[in-house]
Amino acid sequence: MHTASSRKNILIAGGVAALAVLGAAVVAPSDGYYLNIMMQAATYTIAVAGLVIVLGYCGQIALCQAAFLGIGAYCVALGTVDYGLPFFVALAIGVVVSGVTGIFLGFATLRLGGHYLAMVTIGFQMIVTMVLTNWIGFTHGPDGIPGIPRPSLGLVDLKGGSVYLGLCLVVLVAVTVYAALLKQSRLGRAMQAVRDNEIAASTCGINIFRTKTVAFGICAALGGLGGGLFAGAFSYISPDQFTFNEAIVLLTMALLGGVESAIGAVIGTILLVLLPEWLRFLRQAYLAVYGGAVIAIMIFMPRGVWGLVVGRFVKSRPLSDDATAPLPLLARTGEVSDTIVLDVTGLAKHFGGLKAVDGVDLAVRKGSVHALIGPNGSGKTTMLNVITGLYVATAGRVRLGGRDITELPPHDRNRLGMCRTYQNIRVFRGLTVLENVVIGAERAGNDVSGTDATVERAIAALDFVGLRQVAHLPVGDLPYGHQRYVEIARALAGSPEILLLDEPAAGLNLTEKGEMAALLKRLKGHGTTIVIIDHDMRLIEKVADHITVLNFGRRIADGDPRSVFKHPEVVAAYLGEARHEAA
Amino acid sequence: MKLLEVEGLTARYNAGDVLKGLDLTVDDGEIVALLGSNGAGKTTTLRAICGLVPHVSGSIRFAGTQILGMKTAAIARLDLAHVPEGRRLFPGLTVRDNILLGSSNRPGVARADLKREVDAMLDFFPDLKPLQHAYAWTLSGGQMQMVAVARGLMAKPKLLLLDEPSLGLGPLIVQQVFRIISQIRERGTTVLLVEQNANMALSVADRAYVLEAGTLLVSGKPDALWNNDQVRMAYLGGLAASA
Amino acid sequence: MSMLPQLLFTGVSIGSIYALVALGFVLLIRSANIVNFAQGEFSMMGAYFMVILFAGLGLPYALALVLAVVLMTVFGVAFAWITYWPLRDRGQVPVIISTIGASILLANLILATYGPSPQVLPGLFDGTGFLVGNVFMDSQYLSIIVITVVLVALQYLVFEKTMVGKKLQATSQDREMAALLGIPVVAMIFGTFAYSAALGGLAGILVAPILYVSVGIGAMIGVKAFAANIIGGFGSIPGAICGGFIIGIVETLGAAYISVPYKDAFAFVMLIVVLLVRPQGLFGERIAEKA
Repeated sequence: MHTASSRKNILIAGGVAALAVLGAAVVAPSDGYYLNIMMQAATYTIAVAGLVIVLGYCGQIALCQAAFLGIGAYCVALGTVDYGLPFFVALAIGVVVSGVTGIFLGFATLRLGGHYLAMVTIGFQMIVTMVLTNWIGFTHGPDGIPGIPRPSLGLVDLKGGSVYLGLCLVVLVAVTVYAALLKQSRLGRAMQAVRDNEIAASTCGINIFRTKTVAFGICAALGGLGGGLFAGAFSYISPDQFTFNEAIVLLTMALLGGVESAIGAVIGTILLVLLPEWLRFLRQAYLAVYGGAVIAIMIFMPRGVWGLVVGRFVKSRPLSDDATAPLPLLARTGEVSDTIVLDVTGLAKHFGGLKAVDGVDLAVRKGSVHALIGPNGSGKTTMLNVITGLYVATAGRVRLGGRDITELPPHDRNRLGMCRTYQNIRVFRGLTVLENVVIGAERAGNDVSGTDATVERAIAALDFVGLRQVAHLPVGDLPYGHQRYVEIARALAGSPEILLLDEPAAGLNLTEKGEMAALLKRLKGHGTTIVIIDHDMRLIEKVADHITVLNFGRRIADGDPRSVFKHPEVVAAYLGEARHEAA
Repeated sequence: MKLLEVEGLTARYNAGDVLKGLDLTVDDGEIVALLGSNGAGKTTTLRAICGLVPHVSGSIRFAGTQILGMKTAAIARLDLAHVPEGRRLFPGLTVRDNILLGSSNRPGVARADLKREVDAMLDFFPDLKPLQHAYAWTLSGGQMQMVAVARGLMAKPKLLLLDEPSLGLGPLIVQQVFRIISQIRERGTTVLLVEQNANMALSVADRAYVLEAGTLLVSGKPDALWNNDQVRMAYLGGLAASA
Repeated sequence: MSMLPQLLFTGVSIGSIYALVALGFVLLIRSANIVNFAQGEFSMMGAYFMVILFAGLGLPYALALVLAVVLMTVFGVAFAWITYWPLRDRGQVPVIISTIGASILLANLILATYGPSPQVLPGLFDGTGFLVGNVFMDSQYLSIIVITVVLVALQYLVFEKTMVGKKLQATSQDREMAALLGIPVVAMIFGTFAYSAALGGLAGILVAPILYVSVGIGAMIGVKAFAANIIGGFGSIPGAICGGFIIGIVETLGAAYISVPYKDAFAFVMLIVVLLVRPQGLFGERIAEKA
């Protein structure tokens, strides 16, 4: 319903735009200066759209888009001029070669931080320029390649200037539509989740490394596509068109327009293709203006021109009040069974000499609410991080439903039904409340995963926590307490087998704590297993079936709430060693 | 004489109130304990006093100066030292250098005098003396806590803030830490102590405040708080309190 | 093979330049967690200040040198104030992009002012050099090595033995705690920028007689200094220095024995190989687990 209609809107807008640009191309001057400008803008925008995907959606810096532009352009130029290939075959080769190179480059660096990626991409950009200039036998060297032919498509001759421009514009519209659809797709949401919070993304089932590599590959392929069309547009290319400076120009286009959307790519590119014409009087200094513009945009306009427009004029609408089916996990009934669903044995996590968790056993019964408590620094959160795969265990095993998951990465554990929340809230700040929860519903093992029903499931989860009214808002606009509920809804939308809650009541006031307790009670008794960490003992005693107490990374008590709270070691752990006269 | 006066302190993190109109005072020469369960706002109170919480309102007067809104380093240079939760030693510096840097609030002092002060501090913490050239990251938790306290004392503070000095330490080490806290009082240093270990804190404090959810639950002399059900409740919940 | 000692000498000398710039780079990473992509342009600016003061205004060489380095410290503070300070709370990527913008801005301002033709600066000494065995000790190459060794030693002393050095280290290791102790953290960060700029500027002045002063000098030195950092281990001071020497030697030998046009590519090939094989670098601390 919701995504389907916006998808249709994008396609309709794209169709109208394609017709409009075709019309514009027909009436455009068939030769000369403005035609060249429009060709440049159209082909560059395709490459800039790639940057929007990698930087805007996925949050990774790529400073080598001019290299991919160059690879695409040289594939078309060499393919058609030296090897006599048909234009579209050469273009396809260009797209594939750039894309594969991008994936390889991403493979080498994407595991590391942003600055590594930035520098490696600069290095790659410089190597490509060097090869284009110096490998004269293959690339024709600094003189470049003249006489690149334009294609014909069956009976349609695309050699005329305005017709070829029409081709470029149609491709551009297609790329823009693709980028807009991608943003609303599962892959696009995964990219944005990675951008906003890698740790939360991984425990929501997203393979971070693969998502980043795919984004990088798409970016590179679009660079190659733009470059191939660029070669046909100007019929002459040379290495100095694909230098690091051009990579910066492309980056500036993306930043100026706004990296959040492909529309930003169009705006930014048009502005910066025209700008040098307006700034002609500056001659060589125009690149200095670009540099200054980059700094100014980062400081004063971090969301770019389109971001400003969207922020000011586009208001998202609240969801309708249409009823949705309640969460299926609430329809189940299930008593606490004797089956152990999460079985942790001898678990240890050492950081250097610090034994944060040191040989802890934990047996969580299916359908129970199992509390993990202990003073600050006793190892509770570390324990949760090892169980969910964020930390590698130093020793011990973790079994989920009988299966050993000790070695699995977080996203695979999520696929098996493990969902969690965080003590320091980890929501995806760039997304709306609904989108955050949809990511939860897209969990690979979920029954609705991969269908449009994820949206409905997400709304049901928001209904359960009472946040439907704010579903359309950016999650960062919500108060702290409500962001906690977004995290819980995100986890519940994935219909978890086991839900791990890390201090859900932390930072809440007394009323909110009461509401949280009520919510947990509603969740209880429907067969969903819950592991909860909290310091609020009144909350714990209201909901817990079983309590495990940790202190100094070891288990000091384990049992039902009444016996655990009377355990002298537990009292001592919480109130301190009793004074002699008090004892 | 009132050394620290906090009035109507309200602090916000991420649009949630962590402190709501807190009042407290610390007199010269006192040890005051700030108790409460996790998340009650104890650490936030100390951080707000040090200028580390961006959204605060109310009033914090220290030695007659309004310090709310002042920069952290400037507050420290009024001779207010903070030994934060988790020790926060500089891991790549030696024990000696960590202690030495505690004097950063007194930039005018000559190097030779500082050297003598560090030596005196190492006499006060004899356990640290053989470790003085070891890197801080190689120490055990208890040793780190000693260094953190020594570094705080190097400021010659009018007021020492101690945040959870017993955190993550074994019972014997905790007793040692508290012995040192009482020795500090004998040196005449005023202390505001945040502690989860309520019994230990009450055994050294002159007065105590118990916080819950960012507001004052109860305050008074240790003996009055000792077997107070409200205090037990705040820590352990109803099941234990009724026990 | 008789060329080898001579090539090693040249390589160590060029490597010294990369090491100096890498040192400034690593200091910014450590004091403020900033990856400065305009570090190479610091060298370019230093060299052009020298062109203005010495060739333009005709000041004596020594005076011009001192003034140029002083100007670089001022420049470093201004740089920090514009590209870093407004973005300090916005995470790493915006600062990276802003320093990239600054590098483009600076390089092209110089290009617009001086044009693409390189400027010539003389070396520290008039004499050309002398022979030791069959290695010709060019006076400029030799002075680069000597000055680098002296500066590295001096920096070590300042960092390990003085109160200011210890406060700088404290700031880099835990900024909030440093502020809690009363250390003026902001001044420390701006000071690091000033020092880092001076170091880069000096490297640029020293290398100018060898490479000529041109706009491209900044980007070329900057990326190699960065590569030196990664090869040596990100954020490691000894790593930055060794990485600089390694790149200097490898590219000198590579240019002599393999290919001149691809001289500048060797650093990147090494960089990518190191990232694939040993991403923490030679001296790198293991990448800490965080959650």
